[in-house]
Amino acid sequence: MAFPHRPDAPELPDFSMLKRLARDQLIYLLEQLPGKKDLFIEADLMSPLDRIANVSILKQHEVDKLYKVENKPAFSSSEQLCFLVRPRIKNMRYIANLVNADKMAGRTRKYKVIFSPQKFYACEMVLEEEGIYGDVSCDEWAFSLLPLDVDLLSMELPEFFRDYFLEGDQCWINTVAQALHLLSTLYGPFPNCYGIGRCAKMSHELWRKLEEEEDGETKGRRPEIGHVFLLDRDVDFVTALCSQVVYEGLVDDTFRVKCGSVDFGPEVTSSDKSLKVLLNAEDKVFNEIRNEHFSNVFGFLSQKARNLQAQYDRRRGMDIKQMKNFVSQELKGLKQEHRLLSLHIGACESIMKKKTKQDFQELIKTEHALLEGFSIRESTNYIEEHIDRQVSPIESLRLMCLLSITENGLIPKDYRSLKTQYLQSYGPEHLLTFSNLRRAGLLTEQAPGDTLTAVESKVSKLVTDKAAGKITDAFSSLAKRSNFRAISKKLNLIPRVDGEYDLKVPRDMAYVFSGAYVPLSCRIIEQVLERQSWQGLDEVVRLLNCSELAFTDMTKEDKASSESLRLILVVFLGGCTFSEISALRFLGREKGYRFIFLTTAVTNSVRLMEAMSEVKA
Amino acid sequence: MPEVPGLQSAPSCWTTMCQDRVAHILLAVGPDLYLLDHAACSAVTPPGLAAGVSSFLQMAVSFTYRHLALFTDTGYIWMGTASLKEKLCEFNCNIRAPPKQMVWCSRPRSKERAVVVAWERRLMVVGDAPEGIQFVLDEDSYLVPELDGVRIFSRSTHEFLHEVPVASEEIFKIASMAPGALLLEAQKEYEKESQKADEYLREIQELGQLPQAVQQCIEAAGHEHWPDMQKSLLRAASFGKCFLDRFPPDSFVRMCQDLRVLNAIRDYHIGIPLTYSQYKQLTIQVLLDRLVLRRLYPLAIQICEYLRLPEVQGVSRILAHWACYKVQQKDVSDEDVARAINQKLGDTPGVSYSDIAARAYGCGRTELAIKLLEYEPRSGEQVPLLLKMKRSKLALSKAIESGDTDLVFTVLLHLKNELNRGDFFMTLRNQPMALSLYRQFCKHQELETLKDLYNQDDNHQELGSFHVRASYAAEERIEGRVAALQAAADAFYKAKNEFAAKATEDQMRLLRLQRRLEDELGGRFLDLSVHDTVTTLILSGQNKRAEQLARDFRIPDKRLWWLKLTALADLEDWEELEKFSKSKKSPIGYLPFVEICMKQHNKYEAKKYASRVGPEQKVKALLLVGDVAQAADVAIEHRNEAEMSLVLSHCTGATDGATADKIQRARAQAQKK
Repeated sequence: MAFPHRPDAPELPDFSMLKRLARDQLIYLLEQLPGKKDLFIEADLMSPLDRIANVSILKQHEVDKLYKVENKPAFSSSEQLCFLVRPRIKNMRYIANLVNADKMAGRTRKYKVIFSPQKFYACEMVLEEEGIYGDVSCDEWAFSLLPLDVDLLSMELPEFFRDYFLEGDQCWINTVAQALHLLSTLYGPFPNCYGIGRCAKMSHELWRKLEEEEDGETKGRRPEIGHVFLLDRDVDFVTALCSQVVYEGLVDDTFRVKCGSVDFGPEVTSSDKSLKVLLNAEDKVFNEIRNEHFSNVFGFLSQKARNLQAQYDRRRGMDIKQMKNFVSQELKGLKQEHRLLSLHIGACESIMKKKTKQDFQELIKTEHALLEGFSIRESTNYIEEHIDRQVSPIESLRLMCLLSITENGLIPKDYRSLKTQYLQSYGPEHLLTFSNLRRAGLLTEQAPGDTLTAVESKVSKLVTDKAAGKITDAFSSLAKRSNFRAISKKLNLIPRVDGEYDLKVPRDMAYVFSGAYVPLSCRIIEQVLERQSWQGLDEVVRLLNCSELAFTDMTKEDKASSESLRLILVVFLGGCTFSEISALRFLGREKGYRFIFLTTAVTNSVRLMEAMSEVKA
Repeated sequence: MPEVPGLQSAPSCWTTMCQDRVAHILLAVGPDLYLLDHAACSAVTPPGLAAGVSSFLQMAVSFTYRHLALFTDTGYIWMGTASLKEKLCEFNCNIRAPPKQMVWCSRPRSKERAVVVAWERRLMVVGDAPEGIQFVLDEDSYLVPELDGVRIFSRSTHEFLHEVPVASEEIFKIASMAPGALLLEAQKEYEKESQKADEYLREIQELGQLPQAVQQCIEAAGHEHWPDMQKSLLRAASFGKCFLDRFPPDSFVRMCQDLRVLNAIRDYHIGIPLTYSQYKQLTIQVLLDRLVLRRLYPLAIQICEYLRLPEVQGVSRILAHWACYKVQQKDVSDEDVARAINQKLGDTPGVSYSDIAARAYGCGRTELAIKLLEYEPRSGEQVPLLLKMKRSKLALSKAIESGDTDLVFTVLLHLKNELNRGDFFMTLRNQPMALSLYRQFCKHQELETLKDLYNQDDNHQELGSFHVRASYAAEERIEGRVAALQAAADAFYKAKNEFAAKATEDQMRLLRLQRRLEDELGGRFLDLSVHDTVTTLILSGQNKRAEQLARDFRIPDKRLWWLKLTALADLEDWEELEKFSKSKKSPIGYLPFVEICMKQHNKYEAKKYASRVGPEQKVKALLLVGDVAQAADVAIEHRNEAEMSLVLSHCTGATDGATADKIQRARAQAQKK
């Protein structure tokens, strides 16, 4: 259970420095507006902010009341208003309305807008158009990396996925480059760099430019992290679309982990209150089960409970002195462990209840069939029934996408009928959802390339000019084929099973999907690290439609210690799932690496589908 | 400025003073002195001023603003602090003629204070001594007070009068026995190969003053202007150093470097006769700036290289200045200038080609500016200037190359104002990255523009989506919504997207129908999906209408059965459900009936349907209704291994013990065969 790391595994760098940096900068910004002030915080920033600076710190720096930026007016009586927001046009309009209302009422106050992680010109533009540019002062809070755990850094930008992969908006790439630059100034240069995907390539180029401009800062520093691997989410949609069965992933799928913590409802806490629980390596119980296949978790927890009982039982037969010792030193730890244990047992029960209710086994079976590519007709029927019964709009969509990607698109008849059924079940606005999915290459029709309209083909022709590497033509995905089946064969993603796959003692990364499938993203990373380049993977890269977009960038760096060369930073552009994290942690234990994860946000199939869905306002 | 009492004509003399960062004016009217600031005017009297003064002829403030000297009509000079609180000394020179100039002559950190007074042909240095020193001036001269002395200019000469620095005095005073003087002497004797060298050296060493001696020589060298003298002093210092164990070398090395720089700029070709103290006060950066201003680029670069200054502060900066000068040479062709600049600058770090280009543009040389920008490695830096030069399209592609979306946006808005709408859209069309950026902006801020954009591009698919979104986001009235959908359908047809067009038309039909239903039946129908509309109809007992609707929208049989089954079970209308189940053969089988009944906890009804479930799903159905024993029988009958294990997993404890045994036996039997 809970495999230990190899003794020669390298130590992880200390990322808490990032928190301190962000906190100090925020305090500095707040102090720029001396005196009492009310703080308006965008909802999406609340949880990340809470991890950096809690309310008492804010109060110390004369923040009086806190408001949420939302679609209704707030009545603040303070003379100074400070807004902490993401650079979105919507927020600018909110601020403009507030300021203009004050103007109408003949009221003058001080306004300050703090953009996190950076300011966009478009936002300033809107402020100007709304006629309040001169009334507010703008600042940037360059808080782009939140350490959620010892090995997990999140940019907390879930919108990255939709903005980049659907809308073709490249504004966040600069943020990614800045974040990488920050890491290299704090933890030394990265001697080896690999990447795949258009966004990865652009981020890398931009990052390199930043390093060149500030030449000399990182020079001469010993690298702490030997490798960095950048990966676009659209290189591997399949893994992100699968139901998760490792504990951490399941908790995310069931309860929605938000910014590293989860709200356990009354059904878990077995009281009438909800409880917010931080899920990270500090939770000793969680740390041991987070990467486990769910089928092992119960056994482990009951074993743990017995051990705990045994430790409590040692009290019997203790003399006074020992008892004193026990109470003062061990009891607190045991109680803490006891509390966590009962929480996780509660969570497990709740998961079990939900997952058996919807015939989870059936669902998993269909998913595995799709991954392995057999009984496609049956699976299609299953999906259709799923839609007809209105089980869940997001689930149905997810299965359709999984079918499309694994099969290189749906055959025209199914494409039409499934869409029709879906619209009948869940409403006509999803016509737009389908248009989105098609554009992102998630749900397509099996057809030759002649569906491209005149404009679209014109656009793809443009890919030959100089800026070509930098263009995301939103349409290119139309011409793309996922080639999942061929890639799966090439990379051996479906393990051959002789007999039962032992989930207790996994032998490969496939255990995160019950031994049925090795996550594609993780396999690519494994292969590249093994070769220290893309050599010999040409065919795979071609099948991934990334012929021009896979790169290696090595600097001759003799100073890198062998320890640092076994530390690998994996950057997921567009989000990564807990299953992928678990799989790579497993790979790390096998090979003596340690992986560090940097993601634009932790994601899962539900979040991906929601990002693509059009919902009525 | 406040009024000064009794001031009828120009004051006899005045000066500005500076105390605690406030400027004052000291002004003399006859025998009175007034101190003015921006608000007040107060009369002041210098302490200890001799009697009989009827007017002040000259006043002088020291370089540091700390001291003040007053020259009166009696030939009497008062010297004191600028605060007028303390007298330092006084002097009577007995010359009543008004002096031409009076300036302070002092050295930083020196205790000696002296004032230099100049008349037509006479110069007098006075201080805290009964006698002044007099010099004769051969020509008309002008005095300039400096940090560490006084510069005296005339038509043909340039002299520097200063207090002899301590180190020099110690060494060169007649019969000085200071360690520096002895060391210098020792070195001279050593060169003459005389044993006296040893005697002198011993004398210093016995007193343990060798380090001071070396230090004195180094310091004195700095104050010398003649290279020969500098050399002999430095030689002495170097000689002395040989006998010292741990003497830090940097002061010596630095002095050598400084002197080399000073000698270079003191050369008459250059003509910047700075003293050592002035040079130190100015700093090398300022000196370089002055050289650059005088266009002495080669010398400046040599100095940088000699002093090994970092490139960014040193060589690159000077080269950039040179380049900015170069672009102003109008007689040289653009090509040649650009090439010459690039040859010299190459890719020296810290040189900004865009700055140079900006300068070229400032001189009206646009073409040259563009050529120079080509050398700028950071494309982002090129953009602002290109915009200024009205090369917006070039700016746009450079901005896109830089990968900085903010920059792209800046250019876009520029272009939007500069070009007419059509041209602007055409430009966007060729730049997909800019296009998607602008679209994002329009989505939030200018919806109409977005529509125009799609129209311009003949992007009917997106146009259709735009109208669909409008049909539920922007429009409220049903007519408006239907009209929006009609527009969408038209667009989809143009995009050859039959599916979307049909779906949109269906939605139009549905909306109208829902509206009618709401009018006729009440309740809420608008915005429900087809499925939910039918369900709602069944739930409100409108079976006929439900079936009609299902036919109209070609709801497949399977869905209809699922839908009806769920709805009737929700209503707990078991009778109707049974009737429905018998209406014809179920296209979804009967297992769903069992499932749904069990969901409503109606085991009785569920059992009815369990018997009708087909053989493949029989076991499952029986298990659902909880009939383990019968399920076991069926499984055994089917001889199906999977089914048997399924049943076995449902066997709990004592109640199903017999059944479990039965299965185990059947299994064993099957294996035997």
